[in-house]
Amino acid sequence: MIRLTNVSKHYGPDTRALEHVSLNIKPGEFVSIVGQSGSGKTTLAKLLFAEEMATKGKIVVGDWDISKIARSQVPTLRRQIGVVFQDFKLLQRKTVYENVAFALQVAGEKSKRIRDIVPQVLKIVGLHDKTHRYPRQLSGGEQQRVSIARSLVHRPKILVADEPTGNLDTIHAHEIIQLLKKINEYGTTVVLVTHDRDIVNSLKKRVISLAEGRVVSDIQHGKYVLS
Amino acid sequence: MSVYLSIMRAIKFTFQNILRNFWLSFITLTIFILTLVTVNAVLFVNVVAQEVLESVEERVEVTIYFQPEATEDLVKSAQGYLRGFGQVRDVQFVSAQDALDSFKERHGADEIVLASLEEIGSNPFGNALVVSTNSTDDFEFILDAIETPEYASYIKEKDFTDYEVIIERIDSLSSRVRLAGFALAALFAFIAVLIIFNTIRVAIYVHRDEIGIMKLVGANDWFVRAPFLLEAALYSLGAAVLMAIMMFLFLHFSQDWLIGYFGDSHADVNAYFVDNGPVIFLTEFGVLAVLSLLTTAYAMRRYLRV
Repeated sequence: MIRLTNVSKHYGPDTRALEHVSLNIKPGEFVSIVGQSGSGKTTLAKLLFAEEMATKGKIVVGDWDISKIARSQVPTLRRQIGVVFQDFKLLQRKTVYENVAFALQVAGEKSKRIRDIVPQVLKIVGLHDKTHRYPRQLSGGEQQRVSIARSLVHRPKILVADEPTGNLDTIHAHEIIQLLKKINEYGTTVVLVTHDRDIVNSLKKRVISLAEGRVVSDIQHGKYVLS
Repeated sequence: MSVYLSIMRAIKFTFQNILRNFWLSFITLTIFILTLVTVNAVLFVNVVAQEVLESVEERVEVTIYFQPEATEDLVKSAQGYLRGFGQVRDVQFVSAQDALDSFKERHGADEIVLASLEEIGSNPFGNALVVSTNSTDDFEFILDAIETPEYASYIKEKDFTDYEVIIERIDSLSSRVRLAGFALAALFAFIAVLIIFNTIRVAIYVHRDEIGIMKLVGANDWFVRAPFLLEAALYSLGAAVLMAIMMFLFLHFSQDWLIGYFGDSHADVNAYFVDNGPVIFLTEFGVLAVLSLLTTAYAMRRYLRV
């Protein structure tokens, strides 16, 4: 599903965010990518949805080699991968419904289909009664659930969640992780980027640890092993 | 994605943007209007200055005085001769008696002058022609043209020498006013360009996060760009329409004031804006739209690189 072969990402000659990273994620897996700040885990996530381009190496998502993806193809890639961000990245002047619908509108979905799908997805994340609220009228946890709903409307095969609980309290963080587990149970491959030890340990899923831009461990049913 | 669906969504997002960012929209539109007010004020001053100058030029006349022995028929023949020239706007015949009456009327209070007239005993004035031309530049040509053998010996005096200095000054003032008007218009147009450029950049800067988010959820550049471009075009249209309404109201309600200051010229000022109104409107809208569209596209470029 996702294969990185000898991938490096450099920002200028002195800043090496990732160095010779190789990994393989199978369809339906739930993988946590952990590491301290500056370890390169967010850079790795950004490479997956082409917010950044690799300096060296090959990245394959599905059957698509995105290492040298053309700028014009990036929107198509992003419509096939669900992405959840730490800061939610919601459109502040659009309602909950409009934020979720927007992801379908950009893909050219017909209005009728949008009217069918969006309420269903909002029901899955438990926001069906807050469709007309603006993001500022929601709690952090609710905003993150909107972000997850938006990432799901395409029915993506891959969901990349970059520190989705970073701005949330423990209770809301737990809710979000439960939601991600539920999504994974429906068959979506989930890549969770986090530095939250408790969350990783409670998941008991595959854990890939990064340090200074390199993979230092890759353990099935692993734990957060970094100090 | 179908083009129709994209266009409809772009239009919907445009109006959402305008209404949900009401104050930003209001300020942007206000700045567009203020810019046009400045440009139109310069235009108005230029038109008024031109009309006033032309009005002064029209009032300059040259009188050709004939010898007393020149008969009325001869002077009227000269009148016909002069009217044959395209440069001549009008030639008025003033008889010797009319000239004397007019002189007496002007100097009625001056006893010395009246006593001098009595001393002469007869009418010292001859017949005269009062010539006005389309342009002050034409006087010299006309006064040369009358110097034919047929009339030259009967001409007593041409008062062009007195007017020559005035005409030169008007010509000089006129070209300076035109030059100053052009320079002022160019300066204000430059300021207007900077203001529009900056206003759009600020408006786009406010939306920078939004643009980035749209890209991250899979929008292509044109889907993100279109509502902002439409918004810029709508501000341009709105500003041009409101400016045209304001200009119409200004000209309508300032009629009395214009008549008071400029007399007949006011009609020409009004006529200028009535005749050229559509061209002014289309030019202002066109320039504003092109400028704001280019600036929007330019300002968005960096935020689209996500």
